[in-house]
Amino acid sequence: MRTTVMRRLLAPIGIAAAAVLVVTGCTAQGDEASSGKDSVSYALPAGTGPNWILPISSPDTMATHNSAIKATMWPRLFEYNGTSGTMEWDQKASAAKEYEFSDDNLSVTITLADLDWSDGEPVSSRDVEFWYNLVRFNAEKTGGYSAGLIPDNITNFEIVDEKTFTLTFSQVYNEEFLLANQLSLVYPMPQHAWDKTSADGEIGDFDRDEASAVQVFDYLFSEAKDMKTYATNELWQTVSGPYVVKSWSDSGQVELTANTKYTGEDTPSIPNVTFLPFTSADAEMNVVRSGEVDYGYVTSAQLTNEAQFTDLGYRVEPWAGWSITYMPYNFANPEMGPIFDQLYIRQALQHAVDQETISDVIWHGAATPDYGPVPQTQDSAYLSKEQKDNPYPFDLDAAAKLLADHGWTAGSGGTLECTAPGTGADQCGAGIEAGKKLEIVVTTQNGSQETDNMMSEIQSSLGKIGVAMTIDSKPLDSVLTEAQSCKTEGSTTCSWQLVFFGTAGSWYFPAYPTGERVFAKDTKWNAGQYDNPEAEELITQMTASTDSEISQKYSALLAQDLPVMWMPNPVYQVSVIKDGLDVGHQDPGASFFPQRWSWSE
Amino acid sequence: MTTATAAQPATQPAARSPFRRGLRRFLQNKLALFGVVTIVLFLLFCFLGPLLHPTDQVHTDLKSTMLPPGTPGHPLGTDDVGYDVLGRLMIGGQVSILIGLAAGILATVIGTLWGAIAGYVGGTVDAVMMRVVDAGIAIPATFLLLILSAIMRPSVPLMIVVIGLVSWLVPARLVRAESISLKSREYVLAIRAMGGTHGRAVVKHIVPNTVGTIVVNATFQVADAILLVAYVSFLGMGLQKPATDWGAMLTGGMTYTYAGAWWLIFPAGLCIVLTVCAFNSIGDGLRDFFDVKGRDR
Repeated sequence: MRTTVMRRLLAPIGIAAAAVLVVTGCTAQGDEASSGKDSVSYALPAGTGPNWILPISSPDTMATHNSAIKATMWPRLFEYNGTSGTMEWDQKASAAKEYEFSDDNLSVTITLADLDWSDGEPVSSRDVEFWYNLVRFNAEKTGGYSAGLIPDNITNFEIVDEKTFTLTFSQVYNEEFLLANQLSLVYPMPQHAWDKTSADGEIGDFDRDEASAVQVFDYLFSEAKDMKTYATNELWQTVSGPYVVKSWSDSGQVELTANTKYTGEDTPSIPNVTFLPFTSADAEMNVVRSGEVDYGYVTSAQLTNEAQFTDLGYRVEPWAGWSITYMPYNFANPEMGPIFDQLYIRQALQHAVDQETISDVIWHGAATPDYGPVPQTQDSAYLSKEQKDNPYPFDLDAAAKLLADHGWTAGSGGTLECTAPGTGADQCGAGIEAGKKLEIVVTTQNGSQETDNMMSEIQSSLGKIGVAMTIDSKPLDSVLTEAQSCKTEGSTTCSWQLVFFGTAGSWYFPAYPTGERVFAKDTKWNAGQYDNPEAEELITQMTASTDSEISQKYSALLAQDLPVMWMPNPVYQVSVIKDGLDVGHQDPGASFFPQRWSWSE
Repeated sequence: MTTATAAQPATQPAARSPFRRGLRRFLQNKLALFGVVTIVLFLLFCFLGPLLHPTDQVHTDLKSTMLPPGTPGHPLGTDDVGYDVLGRLMIGGQVSILIGLAAGILATVIGTLWGAIAGYVGGTVDAVMMRVVDAGIAIPATFLLLILSAIMRPSVPLMIVVIGLVSWLVPARLVRAESISLKSREYVLAIRAMGGTHGRAVVKHIVPNTVGTIVVNATFQVADAILLVAYVSFLGMGLQKPATDWGAMLTGGMTYTYAGAWWLIFPAGLCIVLTVCAFNSIGDGLRDFFDVKGRDR
């Protein structure tokens, strides 16, 4: 019996010992790997591995790292990124050299850069047409296909000469939308090497006929499914970009080597690049601590003690994403909808979110304030002055006054209650009854201490102005499911009030940050069913209007109208980069360009 | 001359009552005394401490985060949102001890009744009831708690009920074994012969005669419940802020392991270890107390 008791006593002591081991024992440092000057290693996001090589993706292979690795071998027609410090066209990394829109804005004539394939053939207009034909005849099989948009919206493809072609569209589009969000999806592909229906088939113009184009597409897709042959299959050795695949393992470890036949301007400095997959962030961080990766990442909490990495010869650089973070209000909630419908209430709640302090203190600088629908982590022409200047700065007095001016007074317990029901200027608003308490429930994703702390801070601030906030933490999948509950056909529950799923950013945009998939009335991810005809018109015009300032009007309106509660936008990742490795400005679009990386002498 | 003196009765030590003998054995167990003193100190710390060291454990203070121990007004420093750590240990302790005690008692009550009935009735009823126990034991309690935490919003009453409902299985087995032994005793047979009901036999004779086993096990149940709360909170599925418990404090502090913020880790960890050890030590002492066959030390 004594033994049993002693065992019981030892159990908690064992836990304590384990904690002490974690605290003290894991600081051992491995030998620093010797990073050769002709190679570099890059840690891929945990739980993901590159698994697709063909420039045309299937729906389940659209991960960013797949696109980024492919683009080093087959540059996109238009590459948009933020490596310059501004989100814009990166001509050096693109297959296109210049473009010109027709006077009626229905057509665009594009001239290709002086790129050659690695077998010596020039990259030509026919190679762009090859991509177009394969995609238009197999649209439903391709990832990211959206009916009505590219390739459906191209009504004519005309080859002017070997390096020039003209695309005609079914309607007038906003130029930025067309270039950044549509033509950036186009990859010139080597028609002279890939236009065949089997491995030993002849090369022909099979892509120009629908039936044979399907055969070509199926053949290329079947070859692309065999990851083991990526380094040996001749198909994938015909490239036009700065790199070519050297090895590609089933586990997702990829080695690229410089394309010695590359004729473009984006010449790689480091000839060998290795992409390392990891099963978990902890495993990755252990490798970082052992010094065996040149370009990795750590959790944002580690920013509290950067020295542990700088002492290992790394520098720490948060990598901001081209994203926004927010909490949708559920305007369709039968109980709380009338409250959220009131702009003054949304304004008061927004005034109570101290984004600057939350970003600095809780996120340790690994988040940036976000005041509207256009990403603010990077300068861009799309951002309005109104959004940039923060229409609703942290001001609890202003928040309290807004509520007091509309008939809300503190009840017993300090929570505000509506004491002036009605629709007058100094009354609570339509649908809000006398005695209604200002109590909100935020359903938030769990698993992140930064998110937990951020919610605590907002809860605390709201409590000071008399708004009672309850936090309901759930796994991300549960939060996302609940966010859709009011829109699911046949669903009888619509009880969520605000949801947060932005620990890693709520929404990542293509280069041109349109809102048709987030804030348009009927889109799936307008979870809270925000409905503002003026915003709807601007959202539509974002893709169609030739007004160069349309995105700024959209930015200003949604920053002021608060379709959601704007929240600090966490970074894409906190990078740790070996001293001496220059990676330039990290692309907010979450892509990477190893050809731009270099070791200092 | 001899003087005859009346024979004096020999001085016999006063017969000790079973309670006094048990108490003596309990007091001889130094670990048990350590346990009692520790628990009393923790109760004073958690429930009276906030009166002596009042702190705001509702509103965050981002201007005063991660202050080290010894900072004026914050003897044990502050955490990553500016809560005073000493004050937080007190309210966290209230939650941990409250859930531990309540869940332990709930588990003991359910387990005792279940085990007593199963053992007393026997036969098919016993077989069915104990297979229920076997099935329950096969389900990991932590796993069940994590699932429930994901489905429902964790609160103190919910955690008491859930932990109580997953912890009664062991006491049920123990009491059932005792009950099987007791039901054939003469005084149990006598009450049945005199027309007493089965319920009366269970409540008046079976349960009271297993009280030693029950009380000893109850202390272990309390300790286990405190650990279970800590586990669940450590995995991030515990109470929602601003409420907290020691396990939640521990997991919050682990993030800052490499930042040297030891005051976010060791105090909460130490509280868990000491409290659990103390309850286990008390259980050990109570075993001595109720051990009628045991000898005085």
